[in-house]
This record gives sequence, structure tokens and C-alpha cells, in this order.
Amino acid sequence: MAIYLDYAATTPMDPKVAERMATCLTLDGLFANPASAHAPGRQARAAVEQARSQVAALVNAKPQEIVFTSGATEADNLAIKGVAHFERARGKHIVTSRIEHKAVLDACKQLEREGFEVTWLKPDADGLIQPESVRAALRPDTVLVSIMQANNELGTVNDIAAIGRLLKGHGARFHVDAAQSAGKLPIDLARLDVGLMSFAAHKVYGPKGIGALYVRREPRVNLEPLIHGGGHEQGMRSGTLATHQIVGMGEAFRLALEHMPEEALRLTALRERLWQGLKRIEGVLLNGHPSQHLPGILNLSFPGVEGESLLYACDKLAVSSGSACNSASQEPSYVLRALGRDDQLAGASLRFSLGRYTTEAEVDEAVEIVTREYRRLAALAA
Amino acid sequence: MAADTTAYRDAVWEHFRAPRNIGAFPAGTSQVFEGHAGSPRAGREITLALRLTAEGRVAECRYRVYGCPATIALCSILSERLPGQGLEALAGFRGLALTEEFALPPAKRAAGLVLEDALKAALARYNMTSGLKTA
Amino acid sequence: MDIYLDHNATAPLDPRALAAMQPWLIGVHGNPTSVHRYGRAAHEALEAARAQVAALVHAQPAQLVFTGGGTEADNLALKGVCGGAPSGRVLVGAMEHSAVLGPAAALAKRGWEVEYLPADAAGCYDAATLGRQLAGGGVRLVSLMLANNETGAIQDVKALAALAHGAGALVHCDAVQAVGKLPVDFGALGVDLMTLSAHKLGGPRGVGALVMDRRVSLTPLVDGGGQEQGLRGGTENLAGIVGFGKAAELAQAELEDRMAHTRRLRDQLEAGLADVPGLKIFAAESERLSNTSQFALPGMDGEWLVMEMDKRGIAVSSGSACHSGSGEPSHVLLAMGQPPEIAKGALRVSFGAGNTESDARAAAQALKEIVATLGKRVAAVGW
Repeated sequence: MAIYLDYAATTPMDPKVAERMATCLTLDGLFANPASAHAPGRQARAAVEQARSQVAALVNAKPQEIVFTSGATEADNLAIKGVAHFERARGKHIVTSRIEHKAVLDACKQLEREGFEVTWLKPDADGLIQPESVRAALRPDTVLVSIMQANNELGTVNDIAAIGRLLKGHGARFHVDAAQSAGKLPIDLARLDVGLMSFAAHKVYGPKGIGALYVRREPRVNLEPLIHGGGHEQGMRSGTLATHQIVGMGEAFRLALEHMPEEALRLTALRERLWQGLKRIEGVLLNGHPSQHLPGILNLSFPGVEGESLLYACDKLAVSSGSACNSASQEPSYVLRALGRDDQLAGASLRFSLGRYTTEAEVDEAVEIVTREYRRLAALAA
Repeated sequence: MAADTTAYRDAVWEHFRAPRNIGAFPAGTSQVFEGHAGSPRAGREITLALRLTAEGRVAECRYRVYGCPATIALCSILSERLPGQGLEALAGFRGLALTEEFALPPAKRAAGLVLEDALKAALARYNMTSGLKTA
Repeated sequence: MDIYLDHNATAPLDPRALAAMQPWLIGVHGNPTSVHRYGRAAHEALEAARAQVAALVHAQPAQLVFTGGGTEADNLALKGVCGGAPSGRVLVGAMEHSAVLGPAAALAKRGWEVEYLPADAAGCYDAATLGRQLAGGGVRLVSLMLANNETGAIQDVKALAALAHGAGALVHCDAVQAVGKLPVDFGALGVDLMTLSAHKLGGPRGVGALVMDRRVSLTPLVDGGGQEQGLRGGTENLAGIVGFGKAAELAQAELEDRMAHTRRLRDQLEAGLADVPGLKIFAAESERLSNTSQFALPGMDGEWLVMEMDKRGIAVSSGSACHSGSGEPSHVLLAMGQPPEIAKGALRVSFGAGNTESDARAAAQALKEIVATLGKRVAAVGW
């Protein structure tokens, strides 16, 4: 059995979530279409609305500001294309960064093809997007700024409060991809100047195939929908609501709120244990910011070994790597390249992401495996 | 992304986990000819050393290698096959035949080609020195 | 709730599909795009499900793009084909589901010329009418459903598609309501794009698919990550897709039995209502889905009837669930030329494999009771 240290890619579902979902699927449960007028439909609708409140509660939003989608990728697309298309008449400029998730990058690239202009901000050497660089990129015709709260590869956490403040009074909408950060960091949307925020359930021990977009009511953010039809989700996202998926997300977010304080402490300690163990490897480099990071993510580059070999040698660990041979794009991590790492260091990088079920013993074994295999591979080339 | 060990055949995987004949010959060992190919920038680098018998056959093969699992495994596989071979057979070595034999994906052809280059470089070194001797 | 007769809105998840989903809902499992062992197993499950769903409609697995549901697949088809600058006409059926009418209206806003193909009184699209509309030239896409979700009327999509192709148009078919209720062969229908939904055939909600001829070039709705051959980004809803696959496999194996069973119940219901004076069964003269009956009772309001049936523990609908509560008459019935007062009175009963003869009997009985007692009062106050 491999050691699973890839919680940033996806998480196993919490058994409590699975239990709640199971009550919404079959004939003896809340299986009906929440749009139906009959009693089973009304019961399903009540379950959906309870889940909406649970999602809203994690980030201190109003339930009616939560729009359910098929995942964070759709939420990112809805936010970015939705604002751009709605605000088209006001301007055609978008600001984002080079180290956003593919969902944001690809949505922005599509808008470029449609005639929008995109400013792609560079991160600093620690992987942060400095608020000052956002300010410098703003133009009168900027309609949207999209900056992630926490980077999925590095775990670095941007100061979205500061970015939001500097956008106040400008008129550009601020979208934040919080797929990695929700449930890991406290988020208070009542206090943040954020217009749109994307969430995924499966990064927080919920099901795959469900996410949500927060769309601020005051001041109101308007969107052109991606998916038109029956007018579900206040017209912003049509399609029959998948009650079990939504209920699963609600339960996952409720559990995240409940566990966050102790889980953050526990994961911070585990990550520190991992880092203290691995920093003894000669020449190892930390990718990201030394203190401004998520509790559970550690990204390291290893000099003098080849990325795919390092990953395969450590095959007892389920971790992610910046290696070219293992990405669909056959390119080394674009995030690490944007930080200025060369191809070797970008490729020979491992992202360890720890989570709810990670133990100290697993961390210690990971340190042992990586240290042993790194030294073995380095010796082959020496 | 993380490791998918099913992409490689068992033999490749096994050689990667425990490469044979790794290292270099002690300085001053006679009849050793070394060839070098590739670079870390290019993703793989091989230094291949052949120790020959007085009859011009391979007695032993050692190497140092930086690269992907396929590169490491092919070095190890070749190091086991070379001993006993004559130089004419070595000249006919084709790296692509080896990558095909182990059903490596097209993206890994370069591993065979760099290995072939390293072997050719070692042979060139032999030809150069033996050429000097006859002269 | 005692009796569920609203399977066209959503069908309960088949317990066997749920069993197939279980391993993917619980325990550590990967993201299908990850390349480690967990991810590899996930990838194989994804492709096995793709083959199962493809087999149900006699398509190639590579022709399937999984989406977050039928509505998304319809949107992907219409907006995907018409992704660029407006350059022509789009013809959509007037009886289409809102998942097609919605994106069609969005295309009209973007500058496409969107026109609606009317239906005849029997609830069918007419080839001659389509031919006349195509003759105007410049049609990029025609979108027509295979079976209507309200009346159940089955359209001759094969003939209509051939006409549209003759005029150089691409053809999309919303087969959400048809698949799992009648045999569907993607190749034989001759359409370029076809929409499927899992939850109408015993699979879970939140997953659908667009079947497509790969020669058609589509602009994705959801970019990012490169999943589904770049046509639909986002981490796959693996449990949902696996459940879709199992439900498709079961639907294929049990199709004839299900059709025969639901036809028996539907015919029993309609026979039970035959002596209600003024009963109007819609599309009765057409070939219909075996499980569906939509009808109007004289002087009755459809939504009121739904609530009266609901009080008696029987779940039915007035038409599409997506419009329930709006008070608007069914656009499908209006498109068939029914007057608004009749259209507003419509009730749809849709059976599933789990229903029994006693369910059908109870529904007929309840309706007759409502007509006999409450109906008189309602009529007296002038509804």
C-alpha cells in the first residue's frame, strides 16, 4: 500500500460525507428532482438549500451568493468568461498571473482568442503575486482581476485582502480561485473585497464533480452564464441539480469548518517534520514562501537527479512531481519555471501534500524513502 | 503528477531499481575506453566505459548515468550484454533496437540513441588509440 | 411518498449502479489525470464506463465527451458548434427542452439567426416544414430531440437529419429522454452530435455525455486541464461516470423488458381514464415513449392537479420539472397548437421499471376521484 501524500490533487471522501450522499440517491431517499413540485421534490430542494447554507457558512457568505457548478474548473470558467462576456462593453482587459490553475489560464487564453487582452503577472521568487504588481497592471478598461488565494503546486498564499482593497473603487471585478485554500484557511467574505470565489468539494474530502462559485450580491456582480437552460441557480447555471453531490459538498464544508483549527495545527506540525527531515539532503531547495503557505503543502527541488527517475524511485509514495514525462503537457511545471527554476530543478521536484489521514509514521517513512532514493540516484551520476 | 510504474515493462523496472555494473574503473586500469554522450540540460547523460581483453573483446562494462528510468535501465541492460562481444558486433549496436525490444514509448527513443552515442564514442576512443599504436 | 410516477423528471438511482459507484465514493482513490497507481486505476474505470455508455447507443468510446449533465452537453453542442462569430442560421425545434432553447436564445443574443421548427398537432416535427426552412439556406446547425420529455412523442430524427445534411447543416439531437427507453443507434440516426443524461436511465445526477462525430470542431464551454480530449476541463466525476456506465449497461440488457413493462402500465392508466369525459391524451396518435402519458382533464389546472395527487401520495408533474411552479402553460403543447387553457391543464405521468400495476391503478383511481369531487367545486367557482 502506497503512502498517499497527494491531497492537493484530490482527497479521499470523508465517510460521513459518503453516508449523507447515500441518503439522496435511491428510491427510499431524497432522490427526486429538486425542481419538481411534488413532496419528494420539495424534500430534495430542502436538502439542497441546507447544503448551500453549509457551503456559505465556511466562507461567511450568504447562501443565495452560492451557485453550484460541476466543479472548480467550471466555477473558474463561469467567473472569468461570465464577467468578461457580461462586461464586454466596458472593457477588454484582464489581469491574472502565470501560476494560476489551468482552469484560469485556459479560460483566459480562450478570452484572448476572442479579442480580450490579458496581462500575465509574474510571481516573485517565492511564488507570491505582489499586490503592487496587480496595481501596476490595472488599466481603465480592466474588467477582471483573477488571482488564486493559494497556489496548488507551491502552497503559497497570496494576500487577497490587500489585492481586494486596492481594487476598491476601480470597477474591475475580483475573482479568487480558492479551490486549494477553502477549508484550509479561514475565509471571511464579509470582510474581503472579493466579487467571485471558486470552490471544489473534492479537495476538502467531498465528492468529485461538484463545486461552487460565490457571486457577491452587494455590490452585485453580474455574469453571462456558461450553461443556459431551465434557469436553475438563479439563472446563472442551468441543469438538474445533483442533490447527492450538493449534499456531499455541504457536509464536507461543514466538516471542514469544524476541523479547521485543529487540522491546521496538526498539518503544520507534520509539514514541518517532513521539511526538517528532508532539508538534510544536500542542496535541496524549497519552492515557495518559507512562512506564507498552506498548512499541508511542501514543494522541493532536488539538484543533480532527473525528475522522472526520482518520482519512480519513490514509487511507494503517491506524490506529485514537476517532471515533464508525467504531465499531460510533456512540459516541466510551468509554475516552477515561472519562479525561475531551470528545467532540471523544475523537473526534479516533488510536491508533498498532507491531509486529514496523514500520520507521523507516514511522514517519517516518506523522509526515509526520499533520502535513500535521492542518494542512490545521485550516486549513479557521480 | 506522480509515478505510474505500469508504463515500463518489468525488466526495465527491475534494472532501474537495481542497476548492474554501475560506476567507473579504478584509475590506471589498462585497456579501458570511455565514451560520453548527452548532457543534463538535454535530460540524460551517459559515460560508458569498456574494459577490453587482449583479443579485443569486451571483458567488462561500467557506466555513470543521469536520466529517466529508461535511460538508467538501458545502460544496465547493455552492461550485462556486452561482455564477451567482439568489436564488430559493438559497431553494429542500434539503440532504437533496444528501445523497441523493451517496448518503450516513442518519447523514450532518445534514451536508446544517447546510449548508442556513448558506446560509439567509446569505440572511437579505442580506434583512435589503437590507430596511434599501429602508427 | 408512496408512488413515484415522475421518471421523466428524474429516475431513482438503480441500486446496482450505486453498488458500482461505491468503491469510487469511499476510500483513497486518485484523480484520473494523476499518473500514479491510484490515478491509473481511476483512469481505467473511466474508460470502462465510457465503453459501456458508448455501447448503449452503438457509438465508439472515443466519440463520447462526459459532461456535468444533459443541460451542459446541449449547451456544449449548440454553443460549441456556433463558437465563433455569428455566421448563419440555427434551427431548433419548438418543442425542445429548455436545455436547448436556453443556449439557442443565448446564440440569438450573440447575433445568430435562430428560428424555430413548429410541431404538428400530433407532437411531431414535419419533414416538409423543415425542408422549407432549410431552403432559405445558410443553416449551420439543426437541433431536434429524439423523444419529447412531456408527451413522449418520438421524432423521425433519421429522416430529418438526412434533410438537414442535404442542406449542409450539422445536426444535434437531444436524446436525453429517449436513451434507455427505446433502442438508439448513433450511427444509424445519422446525427453529428447527440446528448445523453445518466439520471434519466437509472444513473446518478450530475453526469451526462455528448456523443459526437470527431470531425465536428467544437469550442469548449469549460476550459482547463485538458480532460476529455480538451473538450471539457475539470477533474472527472468518477463515481458519477462509473454509475452512468453501469446504468447504461443495465439499460441495454433490460431495455425490452422495461419497455414492455412500462407500456403495460401506461396503457392500463390510459384505459382506466378512458371513461373520463373530455379527457385529452396528447400525441396519442404518434409513436410515443412506452412509459409516458401526458393528458388534460377538462376544466382542471395542471399544477393544482399535481398538488392534489401529491396529497394522495402520488408524485406526478404538469410537464417539465424545470418549469414547475412557473404557472406558464407548456411550450410543448403550445407548439402543437393546443390552446393555452388546455395546455395549462396538462398532467404528465411517467412510469419506471420499479412501478407496479397497482401504482397505475392507484393513479387512475386518484385522478377519477379528483375529477368526481373536487373538480365539480373548482368548475363551480369558474376555474
